[in-house]
Amino acid sequence: MRRIRAGDRSAVDDLYERFRRPAFSLARRILGDDVLAEDVLQEVFLSVWRDPSAFDRSRGSVASWLLAVVHHKAVDAVRREESQRRRQTLAEEDLALTAPVATRDVEDEAWSRVVAQRVRTAMGALSSSQREALTLAYYGGYTQREVAALTGTPLGTVKTRMLAGMRRLREELGTDVPAEQSR
Amino acid sequence: MTHDDHQTFDELAVGWALHALEPEDEAIFTAHLPGCARCAETVAGTTGAMAAMATDLPAAEPSDALRQRLGRAVEETEQVSAPALHPRTPRAVPAPRAAEDRPRRRLLPALVAAAAAAIVGLGVWNVVLNDDRQELQTTVASQSAAMHVLLDPHRATLASLGDDGQPVATVVPHGEALEVVAHGLAVNDADRTTYVVWGMQGEQPVPLGTFDVKGSQMELQTVGSGLTGLDQFHEYAVSLEPGQKAPSTPTDVVATGQVTS
Repeated sequence: MRRIRAGDRSAVDDLYERFRRPAFSLARRILGDDVLAEDVLQEVFLSVWRDPSAFDRSRGSVASWLLAVVHHKAVDAVRREESQRRRQTLAEEDLALTAPVATRDVEDEAWSRVVAQRVRTAMGALSSSQREALTLAYYGGYTQREVAALTGTPLGTVKTRMLAGMRRLREELGTDVPAEQSR
Repeated sequence: MTHDDHQTFDELAVGWALHALEPEDEAIFTAHLPGCARCAETVAGTTGAMAAMATDLPAAEPSDALRQRLGRAVEETEQVSAPALHPRTPRAVPAPRAAEDRPRRRLLPALVAAAAAAIVGLGVWNVVLNDDRQELQTTVASQSAAMHVLLDPHRATLASLGDDGQPVATVVPHGEALEVVAHGLAVNDADRTTYVVWGMQGEQPVPLGTFDVKGSQMELQTVGSGLTGLDQFHEYAVSLEPGQKAPSTPTDVVATGQVTS
């Protein structure tokens, strides 16, 4: 980020090299569309170049911030491009994801396996209703009210579950969240 | 505020970081977050956990073409030069830009939230830049009053009838008058024209008061006085009229909107 702040254009490519996979995986999971996901990535990395001062180191790591921006932009995009059919399908998949261990392809790198396993273990420590609420909101991009409607739960209960679930998740993960995938 | 009293904001902080709040909750939290260390910590912690959740997804590789497109875009794009005194909120994620955010169900409230955030940011600017204490107090009080209107649960946000459909004014009945905040209406020639607020009731709109827009800055105005039954209207409109008095029927309706609740 220091290089980007200094106006070094090549630093954007280095940042992209470092985070393109988790960023793209997240965007395509939310959007269910590779083309839209790539559009989101381009928008995010270009915005980082345009205004690197948006990142404040005192508020977290580059990885956390960048993936939060990707999430935010992808959710905005899915709400713009909302396809009810696609979202319904994704919602069903999201609900299936609430199982502690999801069937998925795992990257070869041992580091990634360790990180993913740690996250899945942490997610597995949540109650099924907490996991369901956080999964729908994070991976599905649903608002709390939409989560309430999808799960047939009062809105206030959804809010409480998300808070309790996130507190538990943070406890399970510890303060050192392993999100940076450097390779 | 006790620990338990803060539970509501703790819940909002998690929802805010997840970008999962309803627009009305987002507006409330956006106003609360600046200056709340506890919520800033909750947001930061949630953001970190979200990043970890992103690692538990099937790995996917974007196309090589994206890297090339991005490279070209970076070459063609200049960086913004940050002002020496940059107003900030603790938000880790950029606020959605109004022009990008056009989902049917979220447009108006989202823009209200953005407007509220803009007021908070404007307040920071004023604190830094304005050394006239009296003027500062007046400005802050005005901004605070305007924000209360923007966040009022009984507000009607009026969208332009032009092509863009952007929100241009917010109306709230208050006692025997209407509070109006213009945040996008064109400046009018006060000597020759006036804006009129109408209560929409059946086929016959009711003129409720007049006001002028003198500049681009958001300003709270109280229009009409001694009116009764203002809360019976579920929809309001604004028209631009020749002269300085309200006609019996609107000539050029420029914006309409329904009461939120």
